[in-house]
Amino acid sequence: MALKYQTSDFRNGLKIELDGNPYQIVYFQFVKPGKGTAFTRTKLKSLINGNVIERTFRTGETLEAADCEEITMQYQYDEGDMFHFMNMESFDQVGIHKDVMDGAEKYLIDGLELDVMVYKGRPVGVELPNFIIAEITFCEPGVKGNTAQGATKPATFANGATVLVPLFIDQGETIKVDTRSKEYAGRVKQ
Amino acid sequence: MSPDLLRKRAQLLWAVRSWFQEQGYLEINVPIRVRSPAFESQLFAPQVGEQFLHTSPEFSLKRVLASGLPRVYAICPCFREEEWGPLHSGEFTMVEWYRAGCGYREMMEDVQQLLVLAAETLGVSLDPIERMTHAEAYLRFSKGPAPADSVEAQRVWVNDIEPQLQAPTFVVDYPAEEAAFAQIRGPVAERFELFYKGVELANAFSELLDGEELLQRWEANNAERVASGHAPHPVDERLLAAVSGHPRAGGVALGLDRLVYVLLGLEDIRQSQVPG
Repeated sequence: MALKYQTSDFRNGLKIELDGNPYQIVYFQFVKPGKGTAFTRTKLKSLINGNVIERTFRTGETLEAADCEEITMQYQYDEGDMFHFMNMESFDQVGIHKDVMDGAEKYLIDGLELDVMVYKGRPVGVELPNFIIAEITFCEPGVKGNTAQGATKPATFANGATVLVPLFIDQGETIKVDTRSKEYAGRVKQ
Repeated sequence: MSPDLLRKRAQLLWAVRSWFQEQGYLEINVPIRVRSPAFESQLFAPQVGEQFLHTSPEFSLKRVLASGLPRVYAICPCFREEEWGPLHSGEFTMVEWYRAGCGYREMMEDVQQLLVLAAETLGVSLDPIERMTHAEAYLRFSKGPAPADSVEAQRVWVNDIEPQLQAPTFVVDYPAEEAAFAQIRGPVAERFELFYKGVELANAFSELLDGEELLQRWEANNAERVASGHAPHPVDERLLAAVSGHPRAGGVALGLDRLVYVLLGLEDIRQSQVPG
């Protein structure tokens, strides 16, 4: 039997099925007009085409969980707009198009494992680990002695992601990045 | 939480308290832990032992008003469960006040003055203030009058009307079935709410003065509470007695965190709160 969600289970990222299609909750807001009835206003992103729709649910309504599974996959190589992964459960090779990667491809590094969302056998989205550790392939030289708080400069990784780092960080150094906020999260001593 | 936002919030609190002082309102320290936390069926209070954390200072302030103080207010933490998202926090700060000898119209003047004061204090400009009845809001912002079915009417409100209340707007005269604590006059309840940028900021009533009527509404709400699988909230007998002995009075509850959120254009009301 399909898993059911109530409005009180809503959170960003939750995958639900609506009118036979899978959606992910990208925004929700509880509203209680007048008295007696409460609603949850949502923005839902289609897991098929990325379109965002708005729906309002009454408190107590239930929704089916989308028939999606998250499978851990390991990055292998890329070829044009296709990024190739190994399904770590079946060891099958899976190709994921750049559109489905949705910007996550910029953070790929050799051997990175991430969660791929599969809807009815088809990859429809990927979720990076919250933190990745990667080498800076380009940034302007560090400025010695500049300790101004909050001063930053852009640094780039091998696959093109750019994050703002403190001035004392140098090219070639390895840093930790929070992929949710796309922010620098610390220096990693190798 | 940021030093800048906490500083602005403190300035606003100071300005609000000064305004109440000038208007002759007494600040009351209300109890936070109470025997009876709310009567509306969609309010859920955290339970602490045999008691609850209050959902607003309403009951305490009304009992104080009935004791013979004509203008009272409280600025205090309030607690509500089963509400979530960027506009709701389990703990938030309410500014609530009651005034004897007047109704909701006079309270609207109070709210307007406080809104202007808050914008000045936070250094932001305020869009022109609008007023319309609840029925007019449907005609203006949805496809027609409010649907007869109350759930549908509220769905239209949530989907079509509330998001369009972008100017500071007083919506007055609610349908009688949405009276809550308000006096009913013919088909309408003497109630208003203030919206700004699609967000409800304040709720006000001409206060019900009939303990018998309040008891009936309380029992109807408790029946809805039980029907939705929740425990009924105890009836506050002291409140029923106090309400019947009240002078004519108006009351307003204003969410302080939301006021800061809307005026400063924040993304979440928690931004001006200290995380718990």
